[in-house]
Amino acid sequence: MEPEIFRFHFYFLCHMKLTPFTHTHEQILDLIPEYSRDIGFHRTPITRIGSGEIGGKAHGLLAARALIDRLDLAGELEGVSVSIPRMVVLTTEVFDLFMERNELQELVKSETSDVRIADAFQRGDFPTECVGDLMTLAQSLTTPIAVRSSSRLEDALYRPFAGVYGTKMVPNNQFSPSERFMRLLEAIKYVYASTYFREARIYRQNCTDDTTDEKMAVILQEVVGKRHGKRFYPEVSGVARCFNFYAMNWVRPEDGVIDLALGLGKTVVDGEAAWTYSPHLPHVGPPFNTISDMLKHSQVAFWAVNMEKPTVYDPVNEAEYLIRCELPDAEADGSLKFLASTFDAESGRIRSGISTRGPRLLNFTPILTHDRVPLNQLLKLLLKECETALGSPVEIEFAMSLDLEDGLPASFGFLQVRPIVIDSVNVEFGDEDFEATNVLLASDNALGNGIIDTIEDIILVRRDLFDWKHTPAIANEIEYLNARLIRENRNSILVGYGRWGTTDEWRGIPVHVGQISSARVIVEATLPGMVVSPSQGSHFFHNLTSFRVFYFSMPHENSLRDIAWDVLDACDVIEETNFVLLLRARSPFKTMVDGKTRRGIILYE
Amino acid sequence: MATKSFNAFEMAQAQFDQTAKQLGLDQATCELLRQPLREYSFAIPVRMDNGTTQVFRGFRVQHNDARGPGKGGIRFHPMETLDTVRALSMWMTWKCSVVDIPLGGSKGGVICDPHNLSGREQEQICRGWVRQLAQDIGPDRDVPAPDVMTNAQHMLWMLDEYETIRGARFPGLITGKPVGMGGSLGRTEATGYGVVFTVREALREMNIKPADTIASVQGFGNVAQYAIQLYTQLGGKVIAISYWDQKEQTPRTLRKKDGIDLGALLQITDRFGGVDKDKATDLGYEVLPGEAWIEQEVDILFPSAMENQITASNVNKISKRVKIIAEGANGPTTPDADIEIHKRGIFMLPDLLANAGGVTCSYFEQVQSNINYFWEKDEVLGKLDTKMTSAYLRVSELARKKKLYMRDAAYTIAVDRVAKACRDRGWV
Repeated sequence: MEPEIFRFHFYFLCHMKLTPFTHTHEQILDLIPEYSRDIGFHRTPITRIGSGEIGGKAHGLLAARALIDRLDLAGELEGVSVSIPRMVVLTTEVFDLFMERNELQELVKSETSDVRIADAFQRGDFPTECVGDLMTLAQSLTTPIAVRSSSRLEDALYRPFAGVYGTKMVPNNQFSPSERFMRLLEAIKYVYASTYFREARIYRQNCTDDTTDEKMAVILQEVVGKRHGKRFYPEVSGVARCFNFYAMNWVRPEDGVIDLALGLGKTVVDGEAAWTYSPHLPHVGPPFNTISDMLKHSQVAFWAVNMEKPTVYDPVNEAEYLIRCELPDAEADGSLKFLASTFDAESGRIRSGISTRGPRLLNFTPILTHDRVPLNQLLKLLLKECETALGSPVEIEFAMSLDLEDGLPASFGFLQVRPIVIDSVNVEFGDEDFEATNVLLASDNALGNGIIDTIEDIILVRRDLFDWKHTPAIANEIEYLNARLIRENRNSILVGYGRWGTTDEWRGIPVHVGQISSARVIVEATLPGMVVSPSQGSHFFHNLTSFRVFYFSMPHENSLRDIAWDVLDACDVIEETNFVLLLRARSPFKTMVDGKTRRGIILYE
Repeated sequence: MATKSFNAFEMAQAQFDQTAKQLGLDQATCELLRQPLREYSFAIPVRMDNGTTQVFRGFRVQHNDARGPGKGGIRFHPMETLDTVRALSMWMTWKCSVVDIPLGGSKGGVICDPHNLSGREQEQICRGWVRQLAQDIGPDRDVPAPDVMTNAQHMLWMLDEYETIRGARFPGLITGKPVGMGGSLGRTEATGYGVVFTVREALREMNIKPADTIASVQGFGNVAQYAIQLYTQLGGKVIAISYWDQKEQTPRTLRKKDGIDLGALLQITDRFGGVDKDKATDLGYEVLPGEAWIEQEVDILFPSAMENQITASNVNKISKRVKIIAEGANGPTTPDADIEIHKRGIFMLPDLLANAGGVTCSYFEQVQSNINYFWEKDEVLGKLDTKMTSAYLRVSELARKKKLYMRDAAYTIAVDRVAKACRDRGWV
């Protein structure tokens, strides 16, 4: 194990009072019993297959289990049962055997497309030592399983890989155990293959001291939720963070932030519309200007596991067994009862609950305002305890299933905990700096902390040609220019419009972190007439900020200093694609962000 | 092969009698199961390459099909006897039963020596064998497979003749076909892997990690090679193998105390499992007498070559360290050696259980052929593992509960299931 990661794991576990510093890899494995066919999946919450490493995510869950065991949650939070969903970890030993016996190392070293890699992995034979265990696992379970990556580097401090590797849900409800077994294997092979997908490879290049020796453990974990006909999903899923990178108005960054969504957590993780609030002010929703905006930009669709036969057999598609559903589907399932409110057109107000007719608003009022389920109280407690245990701000992923008859008891599944990186360099600048003549742009909603004064290059999305329909093409052109800068060992400031890193191409430019790996500063600008709610791309931004990328949100005509377009226009055009320019200034820009005040400024000479 | 003084059928009947007594089977059931249900003995005239006609003797014995269509190989051997075929068909009944696959027991053979026959002559024997039996075999009656000196090519000739007679395709008639022509992935590995699946479970019950064990293997053919492969993958170390030196017509043992390198040995091994002695010496192997495999200081012995290898005369050479004997071969242990092994408390994984991976995978092949849909190798091996493990657990549980020797426990389960099937059908 790479030393820094190793230290992290011990640090992590030690602070969770799970194991002392002196524990060896074998002793950590001793904490997780081997998967036993006799005992099966149901009676042992965490087991493993193989004796390799269990990966970052599994380590986090192991630590979280220790924390949950230590906290007496039952007394404080009546009606909520908190647990780590049962899981089996396929250790990195299994991955190594799979790679070696199928001679895949040569393939993944070459510049092979994702599809070809995925196909080659699907054709690989699984290690014989494990197939029997997985067969019995498939025989004993008939509810959905999440096949999650848990790589050596994933979720380690300063090495966030969240969302970079694949996660695949399988419905696991086929009548034939053999069918379930084969679909499970396909999902595992897909996650293995995702280790070498283009995005992951480019992303790893940012880890300058460890670019090759990645190993993948895989977690097979029961999905929190319940079945509603052809859909299986939790009523609530979300991400809670101790630190709010987007703190606005009267909310402080250290108050934290929580994103809640109906259905699978993919909604939040992919940065789709969710309900964002501060755990200290649970009754205050996102800062929409109007109720109309709120209805338009809150969650209207959700993800579920498709319990019916998928229309297309496609084992190399991560979302093969997922189905995107609309709010009326959830209402028909009875799932909105404790989650939604209704817009009353006559009064122009939002009314809690769904007892009246009208457009539904997924604002979780019955839970957050009326405390039907003490979710917010629980999340505050978990954030506080995890932060104390880790000694740094954390991010928690969770899912919750409600009893739809009376809302209680709720089953809360703790899916992940990982640290958030916040830079502690002291950067201060006064108001007079914003009045200076050499300001390229300034924002009071900037992320990061520190000073960068070496960047000369700007990747600029052309505002005169920008159109939502071109965002996928723009993403590809950015990747092309980014690759050039990487080759030339140059960093950049990236300026574009809408939400960076979204999967919804109509809300922003759908890049992944690997495509913008040269960027040390990214600017999310808006153009006249453009309405974009604050970006919530959990994994995208967690990864970005952990690589010390500064982030500037620039609402049109609402920033400290609007972008000085004339300065950009005066830069040399180094290369031009259809929608994007690569510009170079004659001297470096100076970028400063004060993390405490969330103000940032970029100066030119 | 059986010696003149050794009658395999009498031995099989004696084993059955002992089990029947333990089970308290009634007389009718005993009589039914002591003898085959049906026997076919017939002539196969073949026009030889030199223009003469030679008549070969063929057999098919269907011991019992109460639990499903018969299953068993076809042997080409000059010393073949009807009694041998009878015994083997009975053992097939028990083997299919102990792993709980819905098949009965059969066996067939032809008295001939393929070494002295051209390909065309062998083909004529295969086709003649099927012509005599076409009405009495079939996917739902009796399913042949390769055995001693028969191979996938023979199976394809037989299949082709059968399909010609019946006027349709019946890939489920026969197993052991090549992959791509109705064969199953994983079949090559199945027997050896199956042996190790049972060893793994036995070690688990003994609370011993495979990585803490070492083994000695008799034989270096298909079964031994794949058993060694999986056993070493589980962490075990093989320090000795034995093989038949064709050139010098003698068995030999190769030993390397820090563990053999399977890959390197396979590089110097012919297709019959014979190893190049000189090259092995160059690779650092000690060349020892053939029987030395049994004397090694190991935890596990894998007799995986042929029958009658652990006998009263050599059983005392087994090291005190040995904890498990896993019979990869059919009948490697004689009854008198069995008594001594039982007395010493060595854990026996009997042939009908340990090497049943082969017939289990043949069953999988037949299922795939019948539905004409073929599984991935992962699926075949996953099912093989669970089937073998489940069979082991049943036998082991009975042995523990009733304080039986593992072989006796395996026979008890097997015979009991077949007897029950006969009763349920109203035969007895």
